[in-house]
Amino acid sequence: MDWLVRLATDMLGLTVPVLALFAFTLPLFTKVFGEKKYPGIHALIALIYAAASSTIIAAGYYYAGKPLLYAYGGWPPPIGISYEVDGLNAVIGLFTAWTLLFIGIYSLWYNHHFDEPEWYYILLIGLGIGMLGSLHTGDVFNLFVMIEVLSISAYALVAYHKRRPEAVEAAMKYAIIGATATTIYFIGLAIFYGVYGSLNMADISYRNYQLFTLLISSPTISIGSLIAVSLSLWAFTYKSALFPNHFWLPDAHPEAPTPVSAALSGLVVNIGVYASIRFLYTLYFPGSPLGVYRDIILLVLFLLGFTGAFVGALLMMVQEDVKRLLAYSTVSHIGLIYMAASLGFAGLPIGVVALALTAAVYHVLTHGTAKALLFMASGVFIDTGKTRSLSGLRGVGRLYPWVSTAFIMGFLSLMGLIPFGGFFSKLLMYKAYMEAGQVIPALLVIIVSALSVPGYAKAIYSIVFASPGRSAGYEKLKLRGVNALLFLMAIIVLLLGLLYPVIYSVLYKYVGLGLVSPEKADLYRRVFLEAYNELMP
Amino acid sequence: MDTATYFLYILISSMVMNLALALYGVFYKPHLTKKIISLTILGDTANTFALIIGYRLWPGETTPSRPPVLVGWTHLNKTMLQQYVSSAVDPLPQALVLTAVVIGLAVTLFLVFLALQIYRHYGTLDVREIRKLRG
Repeated sequence: MDWLVRLATDMLGLTVPVLALFAFTLPLFTKVFGEKKYPGIHALIALIYAAASSTIIAAGYYYAGKPLLYAYGGWPPPIGISYEVDGLNAVIGLFTAWTLLFIGIYSLWYNHHFDEPEWYYILLIGLGIGMLGSLHTGDVFNLFVMIEVLSISAYALVAYHKRRPEAVEAAMKYAIIGATATTIYFIGLAIFYGVYGSLNMADISYRNYQLFTLLISSPTISIGSLIAVSLSLWAFTYKSALFPNHFWLPDAHPEAPTPVSAALSGLVVNIGVYASIRFLYTLYFPGSPLGVYRDIILLVLFLLGFTGAFVGALLMMVQEDVKRLLAYSTVSHIGLIYMAASLGFAGLPIGVVALALTAAVYHVLTHGTAKALLFMASGVFIDTGKTRSLSGLRGVGRLYPWVSTAFIMGFLSLMGLIPFGGFFSKLLMYKAYMEAGQVIPALLVIIVSALSVPGYAKAIYSIVFASPGRSAGYEKLKLRGVNALLFLMAIIVLLLGLLYPVIYSVLYKYVGLGLVSPEKADLYRRVFLEAYNELMP
Repeated sequence: MDTATYFLYILISSMVMNLALALYGVFYKPHLTKKIISLTILGDTANTFALIIGYRLWPGETTPSRPPVLVGWTHLNKTMLQQYVSSAVDPLPQALVLTAVVIGLAVTLFLVFLALQIYRHYGTLDVREIRKLRG
C-alpha cells in the first residue's frame, strides 16, 4: 500500500490549489458552456474531486499508520508551509467533503432561486477550499488565511439574496465582528511567533514537549502562550458560535440560501471546534507551558458550552420560523460538543479524555449530518409553503412522504433516540463524564437533551402531522431526485447509529487515543522532525 | 534611555491606545462606516504589532538594524552572511503583514459594498435603525 500513501500525500498538497483552480476558471467556462445549467455541473465536478481526495487522504493515513505531511515547495517544515493530517482532521475532512458534495447536489435542484448561479457556485467552492484548508493545514498562519477564505465565502453566501434587506443585515452583523475576531487571531499569531519563533503547529508542539521533558518553566512563555491562545480561541469560538459569540448565528443561518444554511450549520461551525481541539490538545497538552491556565481555559469552555447548550435549547422552544429553530438547535449542539471536548483536565486518566474527545467528534459527525439533512428537507417544505413560519407550513410534509420520513429521522437523531447516531454520541458524553467522576455535567447533558425535545416535537408536529388548513393550497413541487438524496442522508444518520461499535472503535483508536496517548500524539511531532531532517540540505 | 528605546516605548503605548480605541469603535459606534474605519485601524495596529515582533533594536554598539535585503549575493562569504544575520531584522513578520494587508483589503472592500447595499435598502447606516431581524 505504499503507492496509496504516496498518492495521499500528493493529494494532501493538491486538494486546495486544484479546488482554487476550479473556482477561478468557473466564470470563464460559464461564458463558453452557458450560464444557467453549467456552473452547477462545474461545481459538482470540483466537489466530487474534493470528496475523492479527502477519501484518499483518510485511506492513506489509515495505511501509513502515522500522520501524513506535505511540505509545499519542498521547503523543510518550520520554514515553509506544511499540511499535516492525523486522525482528527482526516475524519472531519472526510465528513466535510462528502457532506459538501451532498449539499452541492442539492444546490442543483435549488438552482432556480439563483439569478446568477456562477457567483453562488464560486463561493460554494470557496467555502470548501476554506474548510478543507483549515482542516488540513499544519501551520497556524495558514490556518488564519484559510479561515479568512472560509469567512469571506460565508459572509458573501449569507448576503447572496442581496435584494432581501434581512439577508444583507444578517451578513453585516456576521461579517463585521467576524473580521474583528480574525484580526484578533492575527495578533495572537504575532505573539506565537514572538514566543516560539515558529508558526508550525508541530514545531510549537515539539518546543512545548522539549520544555516539558527538560522540566523548564518559563513565565514569559507561559504568559505569552496564555495571551496567544486566548486571542486565538476567541476567533475559533466565534466561528463555531459558542455562547456568547452565538448572536450572529440565528440571523445569518436562516437568511442564507437553504443549501448554504445546511453547509454553515452542519460543517462550518465544526471548523472552530476542530481548531480549538487542535490548540488545546496537540499544541498545548497537559504539562505544557500553558500549565494551570490550560485547565482554566478548559473550564471556561465547559461553562460556556453548557450555557450555550442550555440557552439554545430554551430559545429553540419559542421559535416560530423553522430555519431559526434549526439555527438555535445548532447553538445548543455546539455547546454540547464543547462540553465534551473540554474534558481534558490535567490528571485525568488517558482513557477518559480519549473517550470525551471521541464523543465530541462523534457528535460533530452525527449533528452535522442530521443538521444538513434537516435544513435541506426544510428547504423543500419552505419552497412549497412559500413561508418559513411553522404555522404557515402546517401539514406540508404530507405531500412528500420520503422527505418527511427523512425529516423525522433527522430530528430523532438530534433528539437522541435509540437506533440513531445522536443517541450514541450523547451516551458517550455521559459515559466520559461518569468515568471522570463528574456526575453533575453528566446529568447536564441529559437535562439539555430533554429540554430540546419540545422544540423538535413542535417542528415535527406542525410540518408533518398537523392537518393543513382549508386555505392552504400547497402545490406539489417536482423533486427530481432530491427525495432520494435526502432519504440517503437519513439512512446515513441511521447507519451512524447502527454501526456504532465500528465507528466508536475507529474514532477511539485514531482520534481519541491519537490525540491524547503520549506515544501516538508524539507521532505528530515525529513526522514533522523526519520531514525536517529529510528536506533540510 | 537612548532615543531608539524611547521611540519604541512611544510606539508601543500608542499601539495599545489604538487597539483599545479600535475595539471601542467596532463595538460601540453606531455608524457602520465608522465601524469599518475602526476595523481598518485595528488591522493596521495588528500589522504594526507583527512588524515590531520581528524588529531588532540596535543589535550592536555601532551597527543599526538593517532591512532584510542580502546585498552582493553573487560573491557571498561567511563573514558577510554572519554580519547580515546579526544585523538584519526578521523578514518573516513582514511577509505575514503583506498577506494580512491583502486579506484586510478584500474584507474591507466586501464590508463597504455590504454597507452600500444596506444603505440602498434602509436609507441609513445607523445600526440602531437597521433592525428588521429579531435578535
